[in-house]
Parts: sequence; C-alpha cells; structure tokens
Amino acid sequence: MSLTAHSEPLASIVEEVRDTGARLPRTKPKPAGDAGGHILELLGISKSFLTTRALKRVDLQVLAGEVHVICGENGAGKSTLMNILNGIHRPDEGEILIKGQRVEVGSPLVASRHGIGMVHQHFTLVPSMSVAENLFLGRNPTRYGLFSDRDAMRRRSRQLIERYNFELDPDTPVNRLSVGQKQRVEILKALAFDAEILILDEPTAVLTPPEVDELLGVIDILRKRGRTIIFITHKLREVKAIADRVTIFRHGESVSTYRITEVSEADIAHDMVGRQVFLVGRQDDPESPRQFGEDLLRISGVTVTNSAGRRLLDQVSFNVRSGEVFGMAGVDGNGQTQLAEVVAGLMPVQAGRIHFMDSDVTAAPISERMKLGLGFIPEDRLDRGLSATMSIEENVAATNYVAAGMLKSGFIDVGVRNAFASDRIKEFDVRGATLGQPVGWLSGGNMQKIVIARELARKPRILVVSQPTRGLDIGAAEFIQEQILEAADNGAAVLLISSELTEVLSLADRIGVMYNGRLPQVLRRDEADEKTVGFLMNGGDASTP
Amino acid sequence: MLKSLRSFGLAILPQAAAIAVTMFLGFVLVAAIADEPLLAYRELLFANFDSRSNFALFINRATPIALIAVGIVFAFRAGVFNVGGEGQLYLGAMAATVVALFLSDLPGAMLLPLCLLGGILAGGIWGWIPAVLKVRLAVDEVVSTLMLNFVALLFTSYLVNHPLRDPEAYGALSRKVPESVWLPSIPGLPNASMGFVAAVILAIISWIVLFRTSWGAEVRAAGTNIRFAEAIGTPGGRRVIEAMFVAGAFAGLAGALYVLGIGHRFEQNFSPAYGLVALTVALLARVHPIGALLTSLYYALMLNGAAYMQIATDVPRSLVVLLTGLLVLFMTVRLRPPRVVG
Ligand SMILES: Nc1ncnc2c1ncn2[C@@H]1O[C@H](COP(=O)(O)OP(=O)(O)OP(=O)(O)O)[C@@H](O)[C@H]1O
Ligand SMILES: [Mg+2]
Repeated sequence: MSLTAHSEPLASIVEEVRDTGARLPRTKPKPAGDAGGHILELLGISKSFLTTRALKRVDLQVLAGEVHVICGENGAGKSTLMNILNGIHRPDEGEILIKGQRVEVGSPLVASRHGIGMVHQHFTLVPSMSVAENLFLGRNPTRYGLFSDRDAMRRRSRQLIERYNFELDPDTPVNRLSVGQKQRVEILKALAFDAEILILDEPTAVLTPPEVDELLGVIDILRKRGRTIIFITHKLREVKAIADRVTIFRHGESVSTYRITEVSEADIAHDMVGRQVFLVGRQDDPESPRQFGEDLLRISGVTVTNSAGRRLLDQVSFNVRSGEVFGMAGVDGNGQTQLAEVVAGLMPVQAGRIHFMDSDVTAAPISERMKLGLGFIPEDRLDRGLSATMSIEENVAATNYVAAGMLKSGFIDVGVRNAFASDRIKEFDVRGATLGQPVGWLSGGNMQKIVIARELARKPRILVVSQPTRGLDIGAAEFIQEQILEAADNGAAVLLISSELTEVLSLADRIGVMYNGRLPQVLRRDEADEKTVGFLMNGGDASTP
Repeated sequence: MLKSLRSFGLAILPQAAAIAVTMFLGFVLVAAIADEPLLAYRELLFANFDSRSNFALFINRATPIALIAVGIVFAFRAGVFNVGGEGQLYLGAMAATVVALFLSDLPGAMLLPLCLLGGILAGGIWGWIPAVLKVRLAVDEVVSTLMLNFVALLFTSYLVNHPLRDPEAYGALSRKVPESVWLPSIPGLPNASMGFVAAVILAIISWIVLFRTSWGAEVRAAGTNIRFAEAIGTPGGRRVIEAMFVAGAFAGLAGALYVLGIGHRFEQNFSPAYGLVALTVALLARVHPIGALLTSLYYALMLNGAAYMQIATDVPRSLVVLLTGLLVLFMTVRLRPPRVVG
C-alpha cells in the first residue's frame, strides 16, 4: 500500500455504483453516516518475525456494533494482526486506538481489560479440565481472595451457557466434547468477561454446516446486543451471510474494505488471490467416461466398539477402485474419524476385514500399510498431522525418509532432506516457510499444506484424506483438490472424508453417507445431489424418500 | 560457514549474557560480605587451573554430571521428565562394583567391559521401568523416577553397609575393586580419569544419534507429539521407552566410570546429588547434548571453585548454590516467549 493511500481517510467503503466486472477501487473517501463511529482503529501496523514480514503498515478500522469480516490468503497476516490486538505479539510500528484512545496492549490480560476477547484459530483449551474450569482458567472466582470458589465458578458458567443457549454441561471434561462443542467453550471463554470486541479467528473451519449456521446465529445475537465482532473466515458464503463490512488482506497488507452490500463473492475472491478462481470438480466427459481399475481398498464388515460398548463403526463395507475418488459425507461425529483411523491402522477393529490390494492388513500396523502404499492425511493437523515444535523440513520428511532416499547407511543426509523439503514447499506454495523454523510458526493454512505435501510425495496407491481443505484459502483449496484428483488419475484409490458437502459432491466418483457409524448406502455421482445426500446425512433412507 | 558461525553466536548469546550477569551479581554479593572480594572471586574462577591436580579434580567432577546430563537430554527429547538420574547413577556404580568384586579373577581386559556393561544395564533398567509404567499405564514419571531413587539409594546403602562392606575401612565403603579394572588417567593429567574422554565422545555421538538418524527423529517426534509419531508410522511408545533406557544407561555408565576411574570402590554417599545437578544442566543447555557437556564444565568449575574459595577466604561455599540459582533464573527468563499460534 502506498503512503498516499495511508494519508487518505481510511474507511475505504465503496460508495459508488460500480461497473459490473470492473476491478474495485482500493480506497474510497469515508462516507458519512456510519452509525456508532470507530470503536477500534489499527493504524500502520507492521510486524516482522525472524525472516518474514508478516504485516506491512496495515490499517483496519472497525465500527462499533458491526460484524467485520477479514478475508485473505493463507499467511496473509490475519492471525498475526489479531494476535497483536490481543496482546500476544507486539507490533514493530503503528498504533492501536480503542474508542479514539491510544492504547498499548501488552498482554491478553490487558486486552481483556480493554474489552477484547479472542477465539484462536487452534484450540487453547485444557483437555483434562472441565468446561467450567476452562472458562475461568487463570481467573477463577475466589473465596477470601485465596481459595478458588468452585461453586461460584460452576454457577457463573451455567449462567453464561444459558445466556447464549449453548447446550453444554459445565462439569464435562473438555476432551469428551465434540469439535463444535469445544468451539462453543472457546467462544464462551472469550465472552466470559464481557468482551465488547470479540475476535473469532477461523471459528468455522472445523464446524459442520449446521454448526456454522448456529454460530452465525450466535454472532447475530451478539451483534444485536451491541457487541463488535471481528470474524476471520475463508468461506465466502459466510462472509455474505453475516458481514456488515469486509476487509481483504493480501501479502501482509490490507488491500480493500467494502460494505458487504456492495460486493459479490467473486469480487472478494478476486481481491484475495489477485486472479479469477475456478473451483475444480470431477468433470464428466461423455466422450471418454472415467475408467476405474481393480479394487485397491476393500473394507468389509468393519465394526469398532468403544469402551462403553457403543458401536462407533457398525458393519461398514465398501471398496475403492484404482483411479476412483470415494467421497464419504456425513455430519461430523458419525464415525468418519474412526473410519479414517481404522483404514490407516491407528485403531483396532472388533470385527471385519480390511484389504489393501490382495493383502489382508486388518492387523497390520500403519508402518506396514505405508509400505503397501498408504498415504494418510489426518483431519486435525496439530493433533496427528504435525509436530508443531519440530522443524518444517523434519515434518515434511517424516514419512519420506526411505522413499525419498534421505537415509545414507542409517544416517540422515541433511542436504537431500532439505532439498526435498524445499521442493515440496515450492510445489505447494507454502508461504512464509523457512527451513529450520518450527512448523508451528506457519499460518494455519500453510501448516495444512505441509501435511498434504508430505503425504502426496510418496505417490500413494491408497490415499485416505480427511478434511483436506480445512483452513485453506480458496486458491489453495483449489490447488489441493486438483492434487487429489491428480493422485486418482494416476491410479490411486482415494478415500475422501469431508464434512464439506460441496467438496464431496464436486470431487467424488461415488459417495457414501455415514450415519451413526453405519454406511447404509453408496450413491453414484449422478444419483447424488445436495438434497439426497443431505437427507441421508440426517438418517434418512434414500430408497424410500 | 560465516553464516552458521553467526547463527551459532546468536544461539548462545542469551546463555553467555546470563552467565555474565550472574557472575557480575555474584561479585557484588561477594564484595558486600568478603574482606578480599577479588581474591575470593579469583579462587572461585581460576583456582581450578592453578595446578594439574586441581584441573584433574575439575575434570573428574565434570564427568558424571556431563554423562547423566547427556542421558537426561535423551529423556527430555522423548518427552519424559527423568528425575531418576541419582538412582540410576547409584545402581550403575553398584553393579560395576559387584561385577568387579565377584569376578575379580578374570583378566582386566575382560572384566573391565563386563563392569561397564553391568553399570549400563543396571542404570538402563532403572530408566526402563518408569518408562514402561508411563507408556503402558500412564503413571506419571516424575513420581515414579523420584520413588525409584529412594529404592536405589536405600538398596545400595544396604549392600555397602552389610554384604559388601570393607571391614578394614572406616565408613560405609565397599572393598576396593581389583586394580586391573582401574581406568587409566588422561595422558599428561595424572588422576584425571579417562571417563571424561568417554563423556566427550558420547556427547558428540548423542548429538549425531538424536539429530542425524531416523531413530533420533522418531524419538523427538514421540517426545513432542506422540499422536503424530504414531500417524507417521513409528512406534512412539517404544521409542519413549528406548530413550529412557538410554538415559538410565548413561547415568549407570557415569556410576560405573566413577567407581572404576575415581573412587575405585563404592562409597555410600559418593554423589553430591549429581542426578539433580545434571537435570538442571540439561535444562540450562536447552536440552542439547553438546550444550549439556559445556554446561556441566561450568557447573564443575563452580562447584570445585567454591571449595577453594571457602578455604582461602571467608566466603562460604554455599554462595555457589545462590549463583547457580540466579543462573537458572536468568537462563530461563525470556522477555517475550515465541508463541505458537496459528
Ligand atoms: N510466531 C511466529 N514466528 C514466525 N513467523 C510467524 C509467526 N506467526 C506467524 N508467522 C508468519 O507470519 C505470516 C502471517 O501468518 P498468519 O498466521 O498471520 O497468517 P493468516 O493470515 O492467519 O493465515 P491462515 O489463513 O493460514 O491462518 C506467515 O508467513 C507466518 O509464517
Ligand atoms: Mg490464521
């Protein structure tokens, strides 16, 4: 952004009626009549990490009582700016004004004193503690200023939960909650101390569509109650649904701010990546129908029971052929996680058999399945996908030491490993990646690219992918989906598990819908549309609609 | 080359600064209480280098600390907080003593390796037990290693006071091990045990093993995120157990080398809490084997220097406890910790 642009008034709202298809002007004179005025202004904020310039003189102005959405590519600096606002990072330059007052936000505590609450991109809850304990972590109510008052804590948690109509039990340990429920705990935690400004960093990335709708409902309620919300997302549908205004980031700069009524999804996408984006799909070419080979992955009668005796997977059977993408849809928590772990060999089965090609691998550990050609992209990058504190190159190399010839008589050839990692990083356009740095320093979407780059490097024969585009910007999502299709075209059998229905519908050749651990029906792509699949996802039976 | 030198310099800058600040504050303290602060500080820092015999004592002091600390680096890298160095050390020393005393008819060339092996195995098993408990039954290793220390200390104390006690010696000492297994001195440094050379070599090998082999990468993967380690197809739990065996083996070896190279017999209280000192050393060295070696030299310098200081001046040697405490404080302090947030 140029200096002159900075000296202009910064509301940057598009006022004029644009010519259709024309590129939107970057900054606009501030229109009069925005109610409430600025509750928050970030002016000329810059931030560099060791080798990366994450933010370059960024401005962001937020009106009181609005829902302000921030969009932008992976690594554009969205989380960094929010972390500065929340006192986790300190800006190198620039100032923060809250209600016109210049403030120094030295720590998250100071931030909460200024009425700022934040829900981070990745969970920050303590898994073994209860909901109530997590809500009041580090600030629990005390008796005589000394002993923590557990009754008061529970009471206040219950009030909080009721106020927002969240269905949560304050005494449940967090590790027993579903992802969506955890997300709610995070939100309550941010709201627990009456935050006026609530920051939500990609809260919907891990949610299912109904959960997203619920969250958007909550945001709307909060807005009606006069809260100001800053909301980061990559999903344009959500932007249109909830935003009052949207600011778009690119390469560490804020490139534009619009009032939502004045932009289309395509405009936003265009501003984000600087080009047109086409979402790929499995094109049906009537000239040359897709050819599938033999069954590479065969699942028959697989059953998994948890310690309480509940069937998490119940007699699941299906095959995936060479060259085929088998899409597994379903509301999260209907057994998809277990299915992925079972196929990968990370969870034992109580009954049933799993075959890779002609080998029965039911009892084989994951290492053996990898030798047979398994590639595994787990649903949660920070859980099974990566070791955040290990270096980028070690994370990329982790499953490729042998296949990519990085071992020389038992020792790691650092040169080969680093060259391998650099190639992968370049191929997958991982932004901000410097070898030697911990992978946890990357932005969320770029971490996701590392996992996928690693697993596709071995050219797997059987590819299990869960939520591959979770947290990716649209440009990156497009690229990753292309990669998955390419793997199939090269003969892999792909099991794609996604709670993103559109993703399953556009990529898969056949579609299964999991419900309650069961797989009652598998549809061909020409039988599957959103309505049928949605019906099956809620437990319906497609043969008797 | 220049770049890697620079980054190395940057990496150790905070440590060097912490040592400098500590030493400065220490000097202020000494100046406040001592009549001859300069002399006291000279003794503390340089008396170790006054004579070859002082230097040999310094080397001998550093050896067990370095070995245990390098072992603890393995444990930490595997995500295990091993407080059990002391017990592993004592069992290693005892095992070496027992082997040497009971098989004393064997020629030295056979007996010496057997003694070392005994020490390594005894210490290794003492590291293996809490690791298995942790991996299989989720028993907290801090508690189990601490408890196993008491078992080891009391058990060896019984052995040295009763069956193994040297009737001619005064105090709880075992009989002397045969001279055929005494370690030679470092050439040119009489009385400085060759054990130190072993420690240096092992520290370098440890660095290679941890950072340049796939086993080391797997250990660190298991230590930082065991669910990730499993997902990349490595037996995470097994790696944790193996690393803890190695950690125990290092401490056991330290005990064996102490008996063979320095004490020549088992002494009931031969260790001034080397296990705990080594834990601090490993942490201060940011869990790095070479760093652990260097930091153990610094600790040995201070421990021995304090004794000289107390003899020569009126400053009590416990000053060193204060200084090391300050050092821990300054080394662990970080102005703004790097955060991992998406
Ligand atoms: N703690 C850190 N140390 C070093 N570099 C960092 C750190 N945090 C972020 N970065 C770098 O700053 C840049 C911006 O990252 P940021 O997390 O703000 O991106 P983002 O816009 O939130 O992306 P995403 O949509 O993927 O979450 C990235 O290049 C990232 O690698
Ligand atoms: Mg982010």
